[in-house]
Amino acid sequence: MRYYGEEALGMVETIGMVPALEACDKMLKAAVVELISYENVGSTLVTILVKGDVAACRASVDAGKRAAEQIGKVTAANVIPRPIRIIGDIVSCHDVDIY
Amino acid sequence: MAKYNALGMIETFGLVFVLEAADAMVKAADVELVGYENTASGYISVLVAGDVAACQSAVDAGVKAVNDMDGNLYSSVVIASPHPDLYKITERYRLDKLLPYKD
Repeated sequence: MRYYGEEALGMVETIGMVPALEACDKMLKAAVVELISYENVGSTLVTILVKGDVAACRASVDAGKRAAEQIGKVTAANVIPRPIRIIGDIVSCHDVDIY
Repeated sequence: MAKYNALGMIETFGLVFVLEAADAMVKAADVELVGYENTASGYISVLVAGDVAACQSAVDAGVKAVNDMDGNLYSSVVIASPHPDLYKITERYRLDKLLPYKD
């Protein structure tokens, strides 16, 4: 999903794929957020990025982080309430809908 | 990929253990192996799909198989009724897409 930085950005980064998918599932179910992208940086770090309202992103990231921590390692979790536009462009480089 | 009731997955450190896990998972219950993913640096995961109970027993069997050979199990999970958007990620790791043959 193309993201222009017009909404809040939520992200959870884990070591490995399995905790990332678990986090992704729980993030999408916990609040009204949409999956923007998914990124595997190559050194086992996998990041899930979602967009939505600030409160929705916060709830979503909290739920994702909690779920992933139970089955693996979470290296980072963050919510950017109002990113600059260029952040949207960086994130959209890994757009999950384009393959 | 057809929509399944549940997804089960196991991640290990190294290919040997993940192959053992995949073998045990598919033999243990009525599940289909739908994906294989290598995050680089050694962590490799396999993904099966089927009914919730089938996925649960498959993952249990896979975990046991890896632990029995003193394997390096990193993580395992069963996700019941996965969110539809999850398929956007798991579709990338479908075995038939990863195979290096045209037909």
